[in-house]
Amino acid sequence: MIKLIEKIEGEAKLNFNFKEGKIDFVDIEFMSTRNIENILKGKNAFDALVINPRVCGICGHAHLIATVQALESCYENLELSNKAKSIRELTLNFELIQNHFKWFYLTLFPLFGKKQEILKATYPSQLMAKAIAVFGGQYPHTSYAIVGGVVCEITHMDIIKLQHYISQTSKFVEDNLVKTDSKTFLTCKDADALLDYEGDLPDILREIKKMNLLGHGKSYDRFISFGQNSYFKKGKSLKTKVSHNISLEHVKESDIASSFAKNVSFKDEYYEVGPLARAMINKNQLIADAHKKYGDSIFSRILARVCEISKLLEHSKKLIDNLDLNEPSYIEPSMDISKLNSIGYSAVEAARGTLIHKVEIEEGIIKNYEIITPTQWNLSGGTKEKQGVSQKAMVGLDDVKTAELVFKSFDVCSVCTTH
Amino acid sequence: MKKTKVLWLSAIACNGNTHSFLNYPFMEQFLEDFEFIYHPVIDSKYSLEDIVSKEITCDILLIEGAISKEFKRADVSVVKIIEKYSKIVQKIVTVGTCATFGGIFRESGYENTSGLHFDQDKQLKEFQYLRDKTISVSGCPVHPEVLVNTLYAIKKSITLKLDNFLRPKEFYAYTVHNGCTRNEYFEYKVDNHRFGELEGCMFYDHGCQAPFTHGSCNKILWNEVNSKTRAGLSCMGCTEPTFPKRNLFSTKKNMAIPENLPVGVGKRVYLTLAGITKAFKIDRLEKKLIDD
Repeated sequence: MIKLIEKIEGEAKLNFNFKEGKIDFVDIEFMSTRNIENILKGKNAFDALVINPRVCGICGHAHLIATVQALESCYENLELSNKAKSIRELTLNFELIQNHFKWFYLTLFPLFGKKQEILKATYPSQLMAKAIAVFGGQYPHTSYAIVGGVVCEITHMDIIKLQHYISQTSKFVEDNLVKTDSKTFLTCKDADALLDYEGDLPDILREIKKMNLLGHGKSYDRFISFGQNSYFKKGKSLKTKVSHNISLEHVKESDIASSFAKNVSFKDEYYEVGPLARAMINKNQLIADAHKKYGDSIFSRILARVCEISKLLEHSKKLIDNLDLNEPSYIEPSMDISKLNSIGYSAVEAARGTLIHKVEIEEGIIKNYEIITPTQWNLSGGTKEKQGVSQKAMVGLDDVKTAELVFKSFDVCSVCTTH
Repeated sequence: MKKTKVLWLSAIACNGNTHSFLNYPFMEQFLEDFEFIYHPVIDSKYSLEDIVSKEITCDILLIEGAISKEFKRADVSVVKIIEKYSKIVQKIVTVGTCATFGGIFRESGYENTSGLHFDQDKQLKEFQYLRDKTISVSGCPVHPEVLVNTLYAIKKSITLKLDNFLRPKEFYAYTVHNGCTRNEYFEYKVDNHRFGELEGCMFYDHGCQAPFTHGSCNKILWNEVNSKTRAGLSCMGCTEPTFPKRNLFSTKKNMAIPENLPVGVGKRVYLTLAGITKAFKIDRLEKKLIDD
């Protein structure tokens, strides 16, 4: 049976094969692409900073940061101030947070038979968009991160404004998502204890338990994350064994005949990326406890994504406190881009997981550009013998409705997948 | 009052307009006055499959993304979907620069990709019969207030004055330059802009297109707090048919004169004016704005 999955920043077709009343294999098809990588060819390298945010309306900022880092890695000895690094990290954090709110209230709620909470999605995500706009001028689609830093200068008044956006967002979390003070939530180490709290997250978690879905949506229990910054660690996690020694050279992209999406593997194995992967690699105690009890199931996946909101708000506060406003925002590169012949890579953590950009420049002109998006990792369409992460998570389920929930627990972004 | 029914149709798009729209500050009121029969993110009574297979009552058709008959949604060409709904709606709104002029995804490789009525600045014959029904709100992405208030104008049957690209003059008669906090550096031709500073104007070296780009970015601001040029990023001309031009971070010059001058300003007058402004030596604009 074929089902069109809608409202995932586009659509995907899932072809369900049942065997003895249970899902045996799911074929995933994305129906279109926009050929961004081709659009970039022949363009001036810096123009990628304007074009690439337009890969995606919901996580375009991650594409900007990935672009600027890929371009910067083409240079030797490029100088970047800590201030610029922190500002970029902050705006990316804000984008992750707005994504998580939108996913939770717009995508997840209807899957549990609840009405979409549009205002609960837009209120905090608008605050986060304002916070990005303080630095970048606007959200979505700013290109404020340029090779050598950021275009903006920040004043004490900007910092005060930012702190208000962050504390207002934290307050929203305390009043709605998990009704307790942020500190209690952030230091909670017992996933089951969360079930006793009031709030929209505990409601959903209780619903999962009530519907007997606690162990549903398990996949390979294999996680990976390449985007490293002052909060996220790079590494992979097999069950609970974490190692940080991984290299991008083992990441492989391959075509599939039936879909416009390309598969992504690490050392020929499929890995899950995203908030659950990041929490496992960062050894987040609450998520580790959920994982110990319920594995890599929808329970852990949903909890990890929502928990990341509070973690990133908290970490962003620290980043702001440590900003040294006397540092320069921008240091002009000593070499003109038109003289550059080089190849550059970057990996950043976008809302849905690791995003990789690779650029090849010849005399400042883009010769080749490759983008690997988070959803490609999670939604790789494997064969029955070697299934992708989300495919495997749907095997054994009784019905298509639950399968859609499991599928969407990966926070699918169709436009990114088929950039 | 009856809710106005809106179909939000995405063609070759990044959904940037969808998410820009979600930044509209008075969403609660909007949702009381309008109902989406389909929206890419907001839940609707109908599925995309319903939209393409049936004919659902609708007042306004919103199109996001560049258009090609080759591009399908739920297995149906977007051109077919547009043909069907354009007949029954009162008004069509092309949302964003892709749907208006082709924009970034004009180059996406689908056959004859363009905006609804324009391929960049060239007027198209297809859909010419719909021109009287169409309002364009260009921008990459569209500003949420520009979109929403245009929808309210339609709801209230207000006749908006439109420019040659069918854009409401109330928003697009301005240039992005209007209201920029860096205006004085432009006016007095202080041309030593460096990125990362509060001071300076990006027009002279860093490709800012604000003086010849139509839009209200610096009048109504983005996310109610800022604009790209205020932050220190050049205007990329994203509301115009030419978007995206090339080499966006540098100003194209002929004999040291910017190739594109402010709207309506001739080269000779510009040179005369530049000569005069150079005579100013305004200390306040030569040093740091917030100095010791």
